[in-house]
Amino acid sequence: MAGSAMPIQTPGDLVKARESGLLKLKPGRPRIAVGLSTCGIAVGGERLIERLKEIITAGGHDIDLVRVGCIGFCKEEPIVNITIPGRPLVILHRVSPDDAEAIVKSVLNGSVLEEKALCKVSSWDHITGSVIYGTGFDTIPDYHDITFFGRQTKVILRDAGFINPEDIDEYIAVGGYQAFVSAITSRSPDEVIDIVKQSDLRGRGGAGFPAGLKWEITRKAKGHLKYIVCNADEGDPGAYMNRNEMESDPHMLIEGLLIGAYAIGTPDALIYIRAEYPLAIERLKKAIGQAREYGLVGENILGTGFSCDIQLATGAGAFVCGESTALAASIEGKTGRPRPRPPRLTDSGVWGRPTDLNNVETFCNVPVILARGAEWYRGIGAKGNTGTKVFSLVGKVENVGMVEVPLGTTLRTIVSEIGDGGAGGKAVKAVQTGGPSGGCIPARLFDTPVDFEHLNEAGSMMGSGGIVVMDEDTDMVDIARYFINFATSESCGKCVPCREGLKHTLLILNKIVAGKGSSADLAMLESLSDTIQMTSLCGLGQTAPNPVLTTLKYFREEYEALIKEGT
Amino acid sequence: MTEGARMVTVTINKSQYRAEEGETMLSVAMRNGIDIPHLCYEEVLDPYGACRLCMVDHVTCGKRTMMTACTMRAKEGLEIMTDTPEIVKYRSTLFELYLSQAPKSDVIKEMAARYGVTKTRFLKKIVHDDPLGGKCILCGLCVRVCDEIMGGSAIGFINRGPSTVVNTPFFDENPACLGCGTCAKVCPTHAIEIEDLGDTRIMKSWSGTRIALQLCPDCGQYFAPKEMLEEILSLPDPGIVEELKPLCPACRAKVIAKGMFKATFQGSVHHG
Repeated sequence: MAGSAMPIQTPGDLVKARESGLLKLKPGRPRIAVGLSTCGIAVGGERLIERLKEIITAGGHDIDLVRVGCIGFCKEEPIVNITIPGRPLVILHRVSPDDAEAIVKSVLNGSVLEEKALCKVSSWDHITGSVIYGTGFDTIPDYHDITFFGRQTKVILRDAGFINPEDIDEYIAVGGYQAFVSAITSRSPDEVIDIVKQSDLRGRGGAGFPAGLKWEITRKAKGHLKYIVCNADEGDPGAYMNRNEMESDPHMLIEGLLIGAYAIGTPDALIYIRAEYPLAIERLKKAIGQAREYGLVGENILGTGFSCDIQLATGAGAFVCGESTALAASIEGKTGRPRPRPPRLTDSGVWGRPTDLNNVETFCNVPVILARGAEWYRGIGAKGNTGTKVFSLVGKVENVGMVEVPLGTTLRTIVSEIGDGGAGGKAVKAVQTGGPSGGCIPARLFDTPVDFEHLNEAGSMMGSGGIVVMDEDTDMVDIARYFINFATSESCGKCVPCREGLKHTLLILNKIVAGKGSSADLAMLESLSDTIQMTSLCGLGQTAPNPVLTTLKYFREEYEALIKEGT
Repeated sequence: MTEGARMVTVTINKSQYRAEEGETMLSVAMRNGIDIPHLCYEEVLDPYGACRLCMVDHVTCGKRTMMTACTMRAKEGLEIMTDTPEIVKYRSTLFELYLSQAPKSDVIKEMAARYGVTKTRFLKKIVHDDPLGGKCILCGLCVRVCDEIMGGSAIGFINRGPSTVVNTPFFDENPACLGCGTCAKVCPTHAIEIEDLGDTRIMKSWSGTRIALQLCPDCGQYFAPKEMLEEILSLPDPGIVEELKPLCPACRAKVIAKGMFKATFQGSVHHG
């Protein structure tokens, strides 16, 4: 690990670490940073950084070359950002290894490869701190003038794409761990819980339960030994918010988790992460290791008497393990099958101990809430739906990527403005929010504000934040079939409505798609979906029929057309 | 009922009943002769909530929420309705699903018929050579009793979703099976087949797992799984006298009745 590796023993040590960390972000020489999250790697980012390394090494150039996370504009990957002292940070897009030579050459001349420049950033608000880069490059558009970026509010993704996720110093450089250190040195756990409660932060896993209240319940739960667990079992098709958050800024999650552990009063923190996220696992492990070296994780942190260790538990590829009781079973090494609640995890969770379970993004919000205060946080978003939410905007949309907006932003802003409408200029027909159990919302309802309540009213849900866009060519019956197929194969098989009901829903949909359906089948789909929703044991079954019910409600004519064609 | 437990009054279908606090509402209903259909409930096991048939309306502040009676705990003032038109509607659809999943089960047919469900709109599941004869409804009682009560864990769920089946690991004969047959006893649809052939018990449903049986030297009948018997006989303290150990329960009773032993326990013989 680069850096001082000096344990942080006092808040003053953190200030020193921050100063040395800033020298990495603004090293006084040019810095080339390649966006290397899974998305950047998938489009050749590794080959690009290798090529850049070859050129810099061969020429003996005084240029820093680092890996950063993802700034979220997936469509424009691979993305490279260039910092030249005194100049704005410039974001280059769609960079290939063939551009490497020209990039280095221009950097050595004190300029950037303008033909590849997407935009520039003169200063960046990391919320926990800010970085002023510089001025110049007048011909390159400003970051805020790019609609995709300009309409977003980056709170959770405040560091993504700017800092090296594999270097704790860069996280500390932008004010990282400050909130945690102040909390354990100057606030009581109850004060921390109070601040989180006042912020009105709601759980980002989908249900929207008040996070501060859950912490308080777990703190007050009977039992000496408790767990705090982070749910990183993101499994919705088309959703990768948590993956990006962990790959781009793992220390943000760790800091939030540590603050939660302090508030609840437990030394045992766990991150339950799906094994399909190898890079996130690697970066988290590295980050935990660095935090341990710095004395921010482990025994008697900063001499306060508070100890906390973080362990990783990996899932084995079952969607249902995102459900709280199934997740607890999976951590214990059992098959991931939900059990009836109550008891809730806060009473009896992992190994029967009171357990607080929060989503990755919920924890990611905590450091900024503590750093800037509850009132500041409540100023973002809408009443009862405070803060921002990260969405993965995917499907048939022009601008595919990670989008962070205040809660209460309309679907239209997200899809038509930030997303720039349908891919290739096609008309957008609907969006599916909330993962496989969400619903399809038609374009005519795009003025719906994206918050927990309004999405439910439209027959969909927030879920963890996937937004899949469908255009005029999308067959909505086939969409319903796709999601039911997913839910059927991911059903754990414990209760009959989910296991058998979804299977028969799929069979009926197959029949309709094959042109052999009848109107009786539509009635059957409706009554079966109702039964599955009302009688299933866990959230998977209770929400799985949503894609069928919403497509039947908003796109019934497509079902009817298939039935008519068949006869 | 447990001594010292707090008694509460609960309301089922507008009538009031006394119940022990914390007792499941299904058990209160059963004790009072109120029929709530159920398939996955067994008093000695932890509530499981999988068959969904025992869902009832939980009435609070005029609002109704559907909950399974097997996981709902009695407390003062709790009110449920067991057969509202809504409940009957959902139960009927669930019975249709059961009829399609276990088309060979007479138990399911009879239960469904009580709700007027005599046929299913859904495609019937047909599995050739199904070790459970098209009767298994995956209530999990066999798996749970083998694990939680017998400590055998000889069978488990394989696959997930609609592909879930119960059997031994890798569908191989499983030496962990005690051959006790508790699984078959708790199976609500009588799906599990066990056959005793001479000195061997064959767990036909569990991959043909073979279990050696103990011969009673007096009557010449095979009467219990050999290994299980040995294990059990090693447990009681004071133990049973050696001469009685190999006998079947009937012959043991005869011997004792004839007064061939003054006392049945070794402890008494040696120290008495």
